[in-house]
Amino acid sequence: MKPKVLFVISILISSFTFVANKSVAKTSPSKHINILMPAPFADSTKDLINKFNVENKDNIIINVTRGPLETESVSDLAISSLMLEKSPFDILLIDVTWLPKYAAAGWLSSLDKWITQEDLNKIAIGAQKGNKFKNKVYRWPFVADMGLLYWRKDLMEKPPRTNNELIKISKELIQKKKVKYGYVWQGRQYEGLSCVFLEVLYGFGGEWLDENGAIHLDKQPSINAAKWLKKLIKDGITPKAVTNYSEPESLQLFESGEVAFMRNWPYAWSELQKPSSVVRGKVGVTTMVAEIGNNPTSTLGSWGFSIIKTSKNPQDAFKVIKYLTSIKSQKHLFLKYGYTPISSEIFKDVDILKNSPIITALYKGLTVSEPRPQTPLYAQISDVLQRHLSEILTGDGEVSETMNRAHSISNQILQSAGSNK
Amino acid sequence: MIGLLILPAALLIILIFGTPLIRYIWLSFHASSVITGLVPIANKGANWQRLINDQRFWQDSFQTFRFAALSVSLELFIALAIALLLNQKWRGRNLVRAITLLPWALPTTVMALGWRWIFNTPYGPIELIVNLIGLDQFNILSNPNTAWLATVLGDVWKTTPFIALILLAGLQTIPQDLYEAFKLEGGSNKEALFKITIPMLKPYILLSILFRLAQAFGVFDLIQVMTGGGPAGSTESLAIYAYLNAMRFLDFGYSSTIMIGSFILIVFSSIFSIYLFNKFKNIQGYSR
Repeated sequence: MKPKVLFVISILISSFTFVANKSVAKTSPSKHINILMPAPFADSTKDLINKFNVENKDNIIINVTRGPLETESVSDLAISSLMLEKSPFDILLIDVTWLPKYAAAGWLSSLDKWITQEDLNKIAIGAQKGNKFKNKVYRWPFVADMGLLYWRKDLMEKPPRTNNELIKISKELIQKKKVKYGYVWQGRQYEGLSCVFLEVLYGFGGEWLDENGAIHLDKQPSINAAKWLKKLIKDGITPKAVTNYSEPESLQLFESGEVAFMRNWPYAWSELQKPSSVVRGKVGVTTMVAEIGNNPTSTLGSWGFSIIKTSKNPQDAFKVIKYLTSIKSQKHLFLKYGYTPISSEIFKDVDILKNSPIITALYKGLTVSEPRPQTPLYAQISDVLQRHLSEILTGDGEVSETMNRAHSISNQILQSAGSNK
Repeated sequence: MIGLLILPAALLIILIFGTPLIRYIWLSFHASSVITGLVPIANKGANWQRLINDQRFWQDSFQTFRFAALSVSLELFIALAIALLLNQKWRGRNLVRAITLLPWALPTTVMALGWRWIFNTPYGPIELIVNLIGLDQFNILSNPNTAWLATVLGDVWKTTPFIALILLAGLQTIPQDLYEAFKLEGGSNKEALFKITIPMLKPYILLSILFRLAQAFGVFDLIQVMTGGGPAGSTESLAIYAYLNAMRFLDFGYSSTIMIGSFILIVFSSIFSIYLFNKFKNIQGYSR
């Protein structure tokens, strides 16, 4: 009985695949462009891609592979596929920090032959950053992302602009029992902690890795920035538990109305407007705080498309990228999903300015945003920084001693890589 | 003739287990990273030298051993109790047997995320209980001294059913008449546990220790989700360190070195734990 059933099933399967193969071969001489995207992007671009596939059905068909939700898991999947001699994908949607690593590994095609300086100039200032490696463009921006300061409009007239103001307002509000905590951010030992630190570091006038490849973690601004974050926890302005908080935990606490300020990415805005949010309609968005005399700076997030070297149809792949990042697509994605646009034109669009309360704040944030150090060894040095910051935030050790250690380990990593070249 | 018959199976095993192992050993003697453009370049054991001087590797080894030792021994004790209970005849036993297995059936990442929210401050239930008692905040996952205990708890919760199942199977192989004879000779229940049950269970206990030690040494998903290796690297395991080097840093040479290095450590510690266990063998067994 059993072998018989198996036999029938296998016949059925093979005939199906035969039919499927035949029908594809018959109706579409078109080329297939395969894109790997993190799950949320795969879902939100569905409309756009369906439309494209209908309009171009004789030419190009886009297939989207819905990757995992979490950023780094997408990277794991992408890397596993790139390690194959022939990746199944033509286009990857990649995070800003992956680019130098992927480009150095030789996995990406340069986009220079398809773009002009004029195209580049149309992109908003912040979004222009983080797309190049060794002066070649490898990535076309799709969605901009940057760290923002969320503040409670119902508790204060205007948001703080300096570090001390933030502490002062927080302390007052806690004392008046208006809120339980002043400021919540991401303090877990993970990439988000590096993003938070970088913003504070710029606020103190410091730098992480300079253009010449020198590390500056042992300098006074770096030590001050780490001390400031530690002080927030020590003074009770930030909850102790922040050292295991990533974005969802911070958002949850802010959403419950128990905190005056939150550091988060633009996605938090639409979450805060949901009916379940206690602070709905009471939230303002602005750029980070900084010490007097320094400019506020946001860490640049941002996703963009890259074409894989082994792609058979890079020309068509670029057409797909152009379509997905067109003004029309950007507007659609912003209005429907709140994805921060990358073209400066959209930030000046009267319609959008009228309809979105945060577009100006987003533009300001994007203008002052800076990418994280652009080196193929970024993941290593960020990992070192995360570990040591976590040590500072959760332990009693001397801050400057720990930062010095982070500094020398980072230096070792960069130097041993240099000597291997 | 028999040798010929097992040849296909042996070849398959060599192919599946042998080739990756050899490949890793080979890679551990090469620099293969984003700096070399992912081309392996022989580097005369530089990776191994780096491993021996790598404080983080030894710290992670210590943390992995600590995690494995505590979680496996806790699991063993609790599982023995559960197995003994489930071996008795009582109403609703089958239902309880099924429920006991539930944690084991749950995907680790899902349950690890669950634990992360359970331990969350201020919204997790544990925090609520601590507050009700009137204590200050607990913050177990935010403290480098305690976070690893939370991961042990997560592991114990999930894998105790697995050991309980093995031990239960073992209990069912012990003939009842042994107990009857023991009682006729005047032995108590408590004595029966140490003189019959545990000695007869020995092979099953050994089996579960080996299984679980190997798993616990390779712990990855639970910790990755619960703490990501933090705070201050206090929960990072060898597997996480190897993963970071391979997938995040694209340093495949050094990642292979870490893997082979931890493989050697695991083999030695497994042999050591079997040796330890055999020492305890001297518990006097009962025989007719």
